[in-house]
Amino acid sequence: MFSKILVANRGEIALRVMRACKELGIPTVAVHSEADEDALHVKFADESVCIGPPPGAESYLNVRAILSAAELTGADALHPGYGFLAENAEFAEICAVHDITFIGPTGEMMRLMGNKATARTMMQKAGVPVVPGTDGAVQDIEEARLEAERIGYPVMIKASAGGGGKGMRIAVDPENLVTNFAVASGEAEAAFGDGEIYLEKLLIEPRHIEFQILGDSHGNVVHLGERDCSIQRRHQKLIEESPSPAVTDDLRERMGRAAVEGARGIGYASAGTVEFLLDARGGFYFMEMNTRIQVEHPVTELVTGIDLVKEQIRIAAGEKLTLTQDKLHLRGHAIECRINAEDPSRNFAPRPGTVRELYVPGGPGVRVDTHVFSGYAIPPYYDSMIAKLLTHGSTREEALARMRRALSEFVIEGVTTTIPFHIEMMDDPDFVSGVFDTGTLERRRAPSTENDVR
Amino acid sequence: MDRKELEELIRLVEDSDVQELHVRNLLTSVRIVKAQPHELTAHAAAEAPPATSAPVTAPAASAADAAEEAPSLETNADAGLVPVTSPMVGTYYAASSPDSAPYIAQGDHINKGQVVGIVEAMKLMNEIESEVAGTIVRIVAENGMPVEFGSPLFMVQPD
Repeated sequence: MFSKILVANRGEIALRVMRACKELGIPTVAVHSEADEDALHVKFADESVCIGPPPGAESYLNVRAILSAAELTGADALHPGYGFLAENAEFAEICAVHDITFIGPTGEMMRLMGNKATARTMMQKAGVPVVPGTDGAVQDIEEARLEAERIGYPVMIKASAGGGGKGMRIAVDPENLVTNFAVASGEAEAAFGDGEIYLEKLLIEPRHIEFQILGDSHGNVVHLGERDCSIQRRHQKLIEESPSPAVTDDLRERMGRAAVEGARGIGYASAGTVEFLLDARGGFYFMEMNTRIQVEHPVTELVTGIDLVKEQIRIAAGEKLTLTQDKLHLRGHAIECRINAEDPSRNFAPRPGTVRELYVPGGPGVRVDTHVFSGYAIPPYYDSMIAKLLTHGSTREEALARMRRALSEFVIEGVTTTIPFHIEMMDDPDFVSGVFDTGTLERRRAPSTENDVR
Repeated sequence: MDRKELEELIRLVEDSDVQELHVRNLLTSVRIVKAQPHELTAHAAAEAPPATSAPVTAPAASAADAAEEAPSLETNADAGLVPVTSPMVGTYYAASSPDSAPYIAQGDHINKGQVVGIVEAMKLMNEIESEVAGTIVRIVAENGMPVEFGSPLFMVQPD
């Protein structure tokens, strides 16, 4: 097992990883920018190293400084969290060169799954259903036109190197295709330095259902059930839950098996997530695979009782998975609300500020993952998520009731947050009924303007 | 409780580390709370380390807190001095090799851009150039010491 782990991240995920390390008896090293001198993850760690000025590019993305910090402190393993360098293949490989175990998959895995067009092809080979589309990238508009005819309109134009909604456009007919093909490619080139395009059939009102998987370096892979992440705004997840109201036991068995076969087929080791789109008729299709621990991982932890970060650490240390598929069951229901320092009444504009007063909800079935404390000044350099509020209940109704209660107890004064938005959603008829999809939020009217109450 | 007793209680709180005292008897109850200039003192220390010596009317605990905020820049002797800090994470060396003479010594005058030391990171030696011109008043970093981004290496009296 490792003698010291450096956590190459900040905020709530850095705390999360450190908590797992502490439980395993492994000392931790925090790295931080000058803006995070007083951050909680620095205080939690056994040692800390300042790696640069506030901007992410000069600190949390500064490979030299991070590796130097690992060298100075004698860390023999590194956990990248999510975001930042978590899916940077070169970084994973550089760690290996310096005898630092990267807690995650190999660089090769990241590259395979990082290219969306390649990932599709590989999953298809493993027998996983994929969204009808092109076999890899399309070379030019002529090929795109032919393919679109074959697939059938409407089609989704997507960037191979894409993510976060960039480089994506819809084409409803051939004229549309010509225009949007150029636009999508240009956007992708600008955002990712790669304008490569592929096409997929546009599914109508699909749900985003993702399966958590764990693989070890001995070829064992298991899935830990699904998370329904359909409540999204501009492709950013806001609310997640497990199990999905739309997934039956039969469907879970089939989708879970596909996720496991897909991961096993590429020899995946570590924690990962296989994302599917589920259409209204129960047809499911592979969308993409995330080769990191995800923001919403606690949802799965609550319904399975498994500590995913500890499992990641054990897997990285070469241990065999002790979990077997027959022992994994989803118990009860869990919901997560992402609390951001944003104003829901102003189109979710980010609002950094200082938290004057903080009261974190508690009681049965409530879990809060946050790096925020009373008096904490939220730096403007990083993302706006300040807390994850989760509830667990024996039924979906109980999880919902607990979430309503917990949201009403949550006090974050001095900063505008999205708590009012979540309070509204917990009483939203569509959400409560469990009948919603990835288009639900986009199709509705402007959200709450009652921010003064908080 | 009479006035004399009250005065005694107030003096008791003032002269000790006690922050808050509650006294109850049959007919009266008194609560004495010490003023909390902690935040102000620590704040002042962090904002203007060399120049000010913030009025220390607070008890001993508070001054210790302030001292912890900015360790090597606290003393009044540092007033007007500028630190040369490390721009990277690594190990600081005073000379280019174990046999060479150190780049600088106390009392030396340095120019902006002048190499004043080495920080070794990932087996690569990086020359550290001074951002300021002036006289080396004090050498803070020790040869072979691990440094982080922003670690003070020397204190310079600018020209």
